[in-house]
Formats: sequence, structure tokens, C-alpha cells
Amino acid sequence: MIDADSTHLWMHFWAIATAATVSAGCALVGSFLVVRRLTLLGDAISHAVLPGIVLAVLAGGRPGGAGVFLGAVVAGLVTVWLTNLLGTHAGLAEDAGAGVAFTTLFAIGVVLVSALAARVDIDPGCVLYGILELVPFDTVPILGLEVPRALLAAATVLVVLVIGAVVCWKELVFTAFDPAAARAAGLPVGVISAGLLVATSLATVASFEAVGAILVVAMLAVPAAAAELLVRRFQVMLVVAVGLGVAGSILGYLAAWRFNTNAAGMIAVVLGIEYVVAALVAPGDGIVARVVSRESLRWRVACEDRLASLWRAEEGDAAALAPRTLLGRLAQARLVFWGRIGRGSAGGLTDIGREEARVIVRSHRLWEAWLGRHVALPLDHLHPPAEWIEHHLGAEVRGRIAADLEGHEGDPHGRDIPSEEFPRRAADEPAR
Amino acid sequence: MVDDPFPAAWIPPYNTLVVAAGVASVGFAAGVVGCFAVLRRRALAGDAAAHATLLGVGLAFLLGGGRRDLPLLLAGALSTAIAALLGLVLIGRWTRTRDDAATAIVLGVSFGAGITLLSGISARGIPGSAGLEQFLLGHTAGLTAADATILGVMSLLAVGIVALFLKESTLVAFDPLFAAASGWPVTLIDYALVVLVAVMVVVGLPAAGAVLVTALVVIPPVTARQWTDSVGVMLPLAGIFGLVAALSGVAVSSAVPRMPTGPLVVIAASILLTISLLIAPRRGGLARWLQARRTVAAWADGRLLEVALRLDSDGPFTREQLLAKAPGVAADSAFKRLVRSAALEPVVTRAGTDAWRLAVWGRELAAERSRRVAAWTEVLEAAREDARGHLTIDVPSPEAILGAARMKAIRESAAAERGAGEARPGQPGQPGQPGQPGGGAGG
Repeated sequence: MIDADSTHLWMHFWAIATAATVSAGCALVGSFLVVRRLTLLGDAISHAVLPGIVLAVLAGGRPGGAGVFLGAVVAGLVTVWLTNLLGTHAGLAEDAGAGVAFTTLFAIGVVLVSALAARVDIDPGCVLYGILELVPFDTVPILGLEVPRALLAAATVLVVLVIGAVVCWKELVFTAFDPAAARAAGLPVGVISAGLLVATSLATVASFEAVGAILVVAMLAVPAAAAELLVRRFQVMLVVAVGLGVAGSILGYLAAWRFNTNAAGMIAVVLGIEYVVAALVAPGDGIVARVVSRESLRWRVACEDRLASLWRAEEGDAAALAPRTLLGRLAQARLVFWGRIGRGSAGGLTDIGREEARVIVRSHRLWEAWLGRHVALPLDHLHPPAEWIEHHLGAEVRGRIAADLEGHEGDPHGRDIPSEEFPRRAADEPAR
Repeated sequence: MVDDPFPAAWIPPYNTLVVAAGVASVGFAAGVVGCFAVLRRRALAGDAAAHATLLGVGLAFLLGGGRRDLPLLLAGALSTAIAALLGLVLIGRWTRTRDDAATAIVLGVSFGAGITLLSGISARGIPGSAGLEQFLLGHTAGLTAADATILGVMSLLAVGIVALFLKESTLVAFDPLFAAASGWPVTLIDYALVVLVAVMVVVGLPAAGAVLVTALVVIPPVTARQWTDSVGVMLPLAGIFGLVAALSGVAVSSAVPRMPTGPLVVIAASILLTISLLIAPRRGGLARWLQARRTVAAWADGRLLEVALRLDSDGPFTREQLLAKAPGVAADSAFKRLVRSAALEPVVTRAGTDAWRLAVWGRELAAERSRRVAAWTEVLEAAREDARGHLTIDVPSPEAILGAARMKAIRESAAAERGAGEARPGQPGQPGQPGQPGGGAGG
């Protein structure tokens, strides 16, 4: 329910601003993780910062304070170290190692939270899915404005991340796309990777209060992966990822407000929808683009096959069979509509249709003739490849094949190869 | 009052017993099925499926009209878990997104959807919705005997399926290419295994919760792997570790109020893993450390002997002289062993307060060691020569195996034989000198 009270609107504004800031930082870091195939480490770190935060709070740190950030970064690095340790010493694959390390650390965190609930001001639920709705109630005054503490922390982290990305831009991109070459060029790849992990920990802990441990994974991975589908250049991808993250946070919060449910969860859902849309409409190899190009090819092949079969019917004595499949009938209708085939039940080729059909049959027979001359294939094996390639040969290739076949008239089955330039009725010449 | 031989306090209530048995079989089955998840590197796909179960629990709750009927909720959980796996497959097939990001996307988004649904349900105050959050981190206290029986039966079914298709799944887990080439339906078996993992994740929900149940599937197999190299041993061992972890987690959580079960189960499993990583034979940290120590000690002993042999040719030597010529790790303790050996089989004999001589046995040992070193040097030299021609010869050098002396004897006898049968016709072009044994082996 939407309340017109201006205090309420301010509350929502702050919550949205926090979510958007957090999301922007996560999308920024997440883009690097996604292109470096380190998303799972982001997953692991986001789970594992919990015990670090709890211990830091126990040691007297305030939620959102520097001590808590330090604790979380240390916990994040410990996870990565543990994963590597399990990999080298216990011979575990990376996924199993990460699975062991982060579940254990997360479990320790949850047990600490549950056991010390009285001393630690952390809600076990908040650990998992955040309390974005309550963020505006914990504020610090800045320039006379009551700014949420979580927003302040998230904004600080975002600024640090952006500065870090700009300063180390060249090194980060080089390492992300070609670590071996970067190492050979003398870059400290290990330090850069560690820096990326620290950045992930920072982004995670800044998001922790707002969206909780697990939904951070969605904020890290989803906008970046969606942006990767949409664009090719990495700079553009970063901008798009941040844009998608911010848009998803705003829309998600509004949707959660409208349907009265958890905001962080809804943000993840909206991000998921963004990803699905990106996968569908991505230019070039999006699902829609792929389906369209595949279907349009099938469609063209069906039309051309129909034309060619009518041409062969005119050439010989037998009448062409009526199309049986749905696609064949649709192709027939389309050819009639565009004036390639005459109307009526016994509609034959029109002049334009005959022209197009001739080229296809020419491609087909040229290919058969060429195969017959250069490849030792039995006669009855020439047709299938020609049937496939007839739809793909251009005028230039046809010309080169014809030049190669100079002096050899007809295809291997003894039929005439229609000429390239001059339209002539196949029926005018005897087929044999 | 008659003495009761079994005071009531000592018999756990029937319900508790059944729940314990159910949880135990869940832990066992999760360990067994998890072995294949770990071997096939599907651990995190299982995690994504686990996070998706929450959505199914919420949907089933709404569909069932607000009844908290465990089989119904679990059926819902299973359907969304499988949908999540399907989502992973679809992303892999239709987009450029790589596996790791796909897992994170499915995990994060489906968990977000689950949280959204559950929060929506509880915000609307639908009766009976209070307990749904227990699926998040696991809580076995509310299980009835009937629920536990269902969990136990499903677990045993899962174990039964694994046992039935043990050969097929082992083959696919270890050599999918060979399995495909032999005509096994690898993709089908793979999908079946993943679905089985999803089933175990769902069955494990009440014990460990959506967020952590993947640990029940991953950690026990990893633990079992430390102890054995054989699948036949690994499966039951993982089952037993899972059983122990699940039972102890449930037991501790029932003793501590307001403590979710899941984290305790995970911590129990991790403790078992840590112990195994330390003390498992051959792979464990302790075994490795001992092995390393033994290797270093043997090397130091040998080196000391070699130096002693050289010094001994000039008469008695002192400890100082010996250690100055053979510095390095563990030289000091090696000297102590050398001296201590004097009591049993004298390697060195005392020739003064700090003057030593090699005994007969010691001299033989030292000679044997230098012979071996020389032989290995020869082998390595030969290997270097092979490498010089950028050749990879899969036939080992015969000298390396037989030793130079036997090789020489064989060569001589062969030459003698050839000399005897020189007039034999039919092989006039054969070279008279066996000049290149390595090259000749290939022909």
C-alpha cells in the first residue's frame, strides 16, 4: 500500500538509494568475476563473510564500521585460501573445495549468531535475506541530512571500488582476458587477483545488511552475465551491468513494496527477469535471434525446394507432388502470394519463379557434376550433398564450378545443367 | 513399588527414535549419492538446486491450501529443484554464459524468488505459515514419526538405485568418454545422477535446510575420499560419515534451544573432514609429514655414509670433520643414528673419544650407495641423451633395469654366440657391432 506521507516516501527513497548503490558496486566487481570465471568464488565469499562479521561485532565493532569490514575481508580471504588448500592438499576439484569451505564457514557464522543472539545485534533472518526495509531507521547525520548508515557504507565502498577500477584499469583488464600474457609481461597477477577478491569481499559486506549473504550472489553474477550477453566490449559491458543492477534494484524494491514482500528477494527476481530478457533479445546470438535465423533458413530452404521440384516437374513428365508438411504448405502459400507460382490448383511456375528455380537447379546439378568429376562417390551418393548445398552457392562459386567443368556437358545423371544467364524453357529441350 | 529394570527416563520416546533413524538414513544416503556429485563435479549444481527448493516449498504450501503436509512440501521442493537444474542446462545450451556464472544466477535468482514468496506468505499472515522458515536452516524438532519414515524410505530408495546402477554410474563418473564410446547412454545416466542429487537435497531439507544441505552431499564424500582410492569403499564410508554428521547435528540441536539443525550438521561433517585430513593414512597431513621426514632422514644418512667412506680412507675421522664435509638438513640427527647403530650392527666403530672408523658393514653400505648413485646418474645421462634428439622412447634403457654389469655380460655372451654362428646364411647385412642398444630396441 502506498502511503502519501512524506516521511514514508523519504524512507523508501533511502532504501532504494541503498539498494541501487549496493547493486552498482556488486555489478562492477561481478563483471570482473564473470569474465574471469571466478563467480563461484564470489558465491563462496558472500557466504563466508558471515563469521568474519559476527566475530568483528563480538570484538566490539559496529555493523557498518571499519572493524566489520576488516573482519569480512579477512574471512573472504580465508575462504579462498581454504579452497586452494583443499585443492592442493586434499586434491579436491574447485567446486567441491569451495562447497566445503563456504558451507563450513557459513555454518559457523549461523551457529555464532544463534548462540550469541543476545550479545550480537544480528538477526539470523537478516543474515540470509537482508532487511532493506529497516535500513532507513539506522541513520547518521551528514550535512544536516539523516543518511542511513548502510547507504553511507555502501557509497564509500562504491567510491573505493570505482577508484580502484579506474587506477588499475589496464592491469585488471589485461589480467582478466589473458592472465598468462599478463604474467609474461611482468604484471603481478597474483596481487591483482587478490585485490579482486578483496574488492569482492568489500562489495559483499557493504551489501550484507541490505540484501543478506545469499542474494549478494544474484547481485554479483546476474547483471554482469546479462550485460555480457548483450554487448561485446568490456567497457560497455561494465556500464550496462551497473545500469541493469541499478534498474533491477529500483524496480525490485518498488515491486516488493507493491506486493508487500521481501525487497532483496524481489530484487533478485527482477534481476533474473532481466537476465532472461537479455538471453532472449541479445543481438547476434540471443535466443530470439538464433531461432529467427534458424527458422528463416528452414523457411527459405522449403521455398527453394518447392520451386526446384516444380522446375523438375516441368522438365520431366511427372507432375510435382503437392506439399505434405505444414512447412511445405506454408512455403507454397508464400510462393503463390509473391507471384512465384500461379494461382489455382494446378498452378505452375510463373516466369519469375522459373528464373529462381533455374538458378537453384543449376546450383544443384553443377555441384553433382563437380563431385562426380573430382570425388570418387557412387552415383546415388551425389544427390544428398547437392540437395543441401544448392541453397548456399552464390553466382561466383557457380561461375568457378562451371569454368572447371568446361567441356563436360550435363550432370552425372545425364540431365542438362540449366544455364546461368539465359532463361529458356527446360521443356524446349529433351531431357535425355 | 516394584523396581523397574528400564527406568522410563532411559528410553527415548518412540517419536525421537523414529526421527533419529530417519535422519540417520538421510545422512547415509546423502553421503552415498554425494560421492557421484563430487566425482562428476556437480557439487555446486546441487547447491543451486538446494537453494531453489525454498520456492517449491512456498508454492506447495499455497497449492495445498495452507496445510503443512511434509510430503506435499517436499514434492514442491523437488519440482523446483529439478526446474533449477533444467534452467542450468538451458542456460548452458542457449547462451554464452559460462557454467560458474550460470550456477550463481540460478542459485541467486531462485533463492530470491523463494524468499519473496515465503515473505509474502508470512506478511499476509496465512495460518500455518510460521514454520516454513524452518526449511531455510533446517529444524528436525517438528518432524513426526510418519514424516521421518517417509524421509528414511526415500533415502533407502536412493541408495538402492545407486547400488543397482553402480557399474554404470561409476563408469560415467570416471571415464565418460570411454562410457560413451562403449555405447552407454552417458547423458541419460548423468541426468539421472543429477536428479538423484536433487532428490537427496530435498530429502535432506528438514535436517540441514536449503542453504546448507549441499554440505551434507559434498563433505562426507570428500571425507571418505581421504581414506580410500576405491569407489566400493568410498560409497559406504561416505554414507557412514554422513550418518554420523546428521545424527550428531540433530542431537546437539535438540539439546540447545533455538539452534537450527543445518549448521550443526555441517560443522559435525567438517570436524570429521578435518580429522580425516590430518590422520588419514597416506593422504593425511600426519602421514605425509612422517613420509617427508623419513625421506629426508634416509637421504641424510646416505650422504653422511658417503662422506665417511671418503674420510675413512685417511684413517679415523671426527664428528666435526664429518659434519663439515656433509652439511645440510638433518645431518646432526643422522650422525646420532650412525653412532647409535654401533650397538646393533656396527656401521661405525669407535677409535677414540671422538674418533671413528667405518666398520665392514658400514663400508659395504657406503659402497652399495655409491654404486646406486652412479647407476642412477648413468640412467639420467641416458635420458638426457634421448631428450637431446627430441625423442620420446617408451622402451626403457636396459642398463637402467638390468644394471651395467649384467648388460655387459649379456652383450659379451651375445657377441660370442654371433661369433660362433657367423657362417649362418640369410642375414648378410646385419651389423656386427651392437653399437646402439637404445635405437635397436625400437626396431
